[in-house]
Amino acid sequence: MRNRINFYLLEYALHSLWRQKSKTLFIGLVLTLLIFLLSALFFIASSIKHELAQSVDALPEITVQKLQGGKHTNIPSSAVDTILSIHGVEDAIARVWGYYYFQKAGVPFVLVGVDPFEEQYKKSLQKIVDNYEISSQEQMLVGRGVYEIFKEHHYEESFNFIKSDGSLYTLPIAGVFTETIELESNDMIILSKQSAREIFAMDADMATDIVVKVANPEEIAMVASKIQLAFPDARIITKEALQISYANIIDYKSGVFLSLFIVSLFTFFMIIYDKLSGLSTQERREIGILKALGWKVELILKEKFYEAALLSFVSYLVGVSVALFYVYILHAPLLRNIFEGYSVLRSSFHLPFVLDFQTLALLFFLSIPLYVAASIIPSWRVATQEADEVMR
Amino acid sequence: MLLHPEVLAILLVNTLFFLFALIAFVLSVRIVLFYNADESTSLQYKLQKEGYLASTIIKFIFILKIPLFLFFVFTLDSLSNLITGAMCAAGVVDATVYGNYLFVLKILNLYLFAFWLMLHYRESKREVPRYTKEKYIFFLLLFILFMIEVAVEFLMFDAIELDKMVDCCGTLYSSTSASYISTLFHINTPLLLGLFYANGVLLLLFYRLKNRYFFALASALFFVSALLSLIAFFGTYIYELPTHHCPFCFLQKEYYYVGYLLYALLFTSTFYGVASTFTDEKRGMQYSLLYALIYMFIVSAYVLSYYFKTGVWL
Repeated sequence: MRNRINFYLLEYALHSLWRQKSKTLFIGLVLTLLIFLLSALFFIASSIKHELAQSVDALPEITVQKLQGGKHTNIPSSAVDTILSIHGVEDAIARVWGYYYFQKAGVPFVLVGVDPFEEQYKKSLQKIVDNYEISSQEQMLVGRGVYEIFKEHHYEESFNFIKSDGSLYTLPIAGVFTETIELESNDMIILSKQSAREIFAMDADMATDIVVKVANPEEIAMVASKIQLAFPDARIITKEALQISYANIIDYKSGVFLSLFIVSLFTFFMIIYDKLSGLSTQERREIGILKALGWKVELILKEKFYEAALLSFVSYLVGVSVALFYVYILHAPLLRNIFEGYSVLRSSFHLPFVLDFQTLALLFFLSIPLYVAASIIPSWRVATQEADEVMR
Repeated sequence: MLLHPEVLAILLVNTLFFLFALIAFVLSVRIVLFYNADESTSLQYKLQKEGYLASTIIKFIFILKIPLFLFFVFTLDSLSNLITGAMCAAGVVDATVYGNYLFVLKILNLYLFAFWLMLHYRESKREVPRYTKEKYIFFLLLFILFMIEVAVEFLMFDAIELDKMVDCCGTLYSSTSASYISTLFHINTPLLLGLFYANGVLLLLFYRLKNRYFFALASALFFVSALLSLIAFFGTYIYELPTHHCPFCFLQKEYYYVGYLLYALLFTSTFYGVASTFTDEKRGMQYSLLYALIYMFIVSAYVLSYYFKTGVWL
C-alpha cells in the first residue's frame, strides 16, 4: 500500500513522453482543449452566480406583488400601511418601476421611480440618489449602457418617452452613474416616482409592488404568511426563495450544457483509447527490452500510469489557466451568451473574479478520470506483451 | 436534480466505474472458474495476464473513489443551500429514503476496496501467490455491493426534489426527536467518554503488547465509540452550542472544514488498525495508533479550549 513516488521512474516516464512527441502533443492538445472549454463554462457560471447572489443579497427580505387572474398587476399604495402594522416589519416601501421598450434601438430599459426624500430600499440605489442629486422632479439619471444607446440616437441632453396615449414626455438627463453591480444597473434609468407613473400611465395611488424589510431573519416566514393572510391575492416572494431560484437557473443552464457535452466527452474517450492502442514498433521494442532487463508487469503499468498522470496534470493546469485568461481577461467572448439573455444592453457586464475549490474539483472529475480510464486497457496490453515476441 | 453540474459529474464518473468494474467482474469470474496454479497451459498464462488488468482496474476505482467520496460529501453540503429547510448535508441525506443507506454503503465499500488492495499487495509480494482465487471471490462480493451503491446513488439524486421541505440537522439530531439517533443521547455522557478514552488506552496497551488481533478489535471499537462520542459530546464543543449534535455541520466553512480532518484521521486509523490482522508488519499498527492519538488530541483540545475560554463546561 505504501506507494512512494519513484523519481527515477517519473523521469523515465517524462522521457518516454518526449520520445513520442507527436502523439503526446496530440493527446495533450485534445485534453487541454476539453478542460479549457469546461472550465471556461464553469468559471462564467460561478461568476454570474456570485454576481446574482450579491445583487439579491442587497434586496429587502420580502417582495409583495398583486396578482389578477394569475398575472402581476399594480398594487394600491395603501397596502403599505396594512403591512407596516404587522409586528416584525421594519419598513415597507411601495416601488414604482417597470420596463420601457425603446423601439428604435430594440432595447428595453428598466425605469426605477424614486422619491429623493424617502429612504431607498437598496443601499446601491441610496448611494446613487445621494451622490447625484436630482434637483427637480423632472429629471433622470441613467446607467452607462443606457447613455451609450441614447448618444447613438442623438439624445444627448434629454430623451422623449412615448406615453400610452401617444404624446411625448421629455426628461432631461441629469447625470450618468457607473457605480454598483453592473449586471443590474447597466440598463437602468432612475427618475422620480411621479415621472415614472406618468410614463407607465399609472394612477397616483398605485405602485408596482411593495418591498418589506424584516429585521429578524427568523421572522421572515411568519411575516410572509401574515401578509399572505391580509392579501390573499398577493404573491409573496422571500429573498431566500429568490436566491434559490437564481442559483437553480444558472445550475440548470450549465447542467444542460454539460449533458450535451457528455457526447464530446465520450468521443474524447474513444479518441484517446484509439490513439493509445496504436503502438509503434519503436515502443514495442522498448517494452520488450525493459521486460528482458527484468522489469515486472506492475512496474511497467506504474510507469504508464506516471505518463498518464503527468500528461493529464499538465493539461489540467494549462487548460485551467488558459480558461482563466479567456474568461477574466478577454471576458469570455461567445461562450457567455449561453448565460445572459438576448438583450443588447445586458451584454456589457463584467465578470467578477471567482475561483473556488468546488469548481476546480468539478473540472478534475469531469476530465482526469476519463483520460486515465481510457489509458488503462492500452497500457495493460503494452505491459503484458512477451519480451521474446516483441523483440523478435 | 440530475441536471445539476456536480451531480452530473458524479454520475459520469460512476458510469465510468460501472463499465470498468464490469470488465473486472467478467475477468474475475473467469479467474475464479478456471484458474489453477498447477497447470501451465496457455489459458493459465492468459488468466494471469487478465489478473493484472482486473487489479489495475480495481486500483483505479479505489484511487478515484477517495477524492470522489470527499467531493460527494462536499456536493451534498452545497446542495443543502438549494433545498428548503436543509442547512447542511444531514438534511440532504435525510431528504430521500436512500440517503442514510448510501452513506453507510459508501464508507463500507471504501474500506472493502482498501482491504482488497491490501490483500493484493501482500499477495504480489509473495514468491508463489496462494490466495489468487479467494482474492477474486472477495472481489465478486465487492462488485455486487459496489453496483448497489452506484444504483442507489443514482436513485437518490433522482429522488431529491428541490421544492420539497426537508428537516434540518437541528431536528434530526435533537434529543427530543423520535429517531433512533435520539436514543443515543440517553446514554449518559461520562459513560460514553469513559468508553472512548478507555478505548484509546486499550489501543496503546495492545500496541505495547504487540497483539495485532486484539489491536484490530480495539481499533474497530474505537471507531464506533469515537463516532458516538463525536455526535453526543465533542460535536457540541466544536459548535460551542449544547444542543447541536449534527455530524455534518463541522464539514462546513464556518468550522474551518475541521470535519474532513477528523473523519480522515478516524477512517485511516481504523483502516490501518483492522488491516493489521493481515500483516505482521508493525508499521500498520504504528500509523493506526498515531492517527487515533491525533484524533483524540484534537477533539479533547476543543473541549479544553472551550473550558479555558469560558470557564464552564457545556
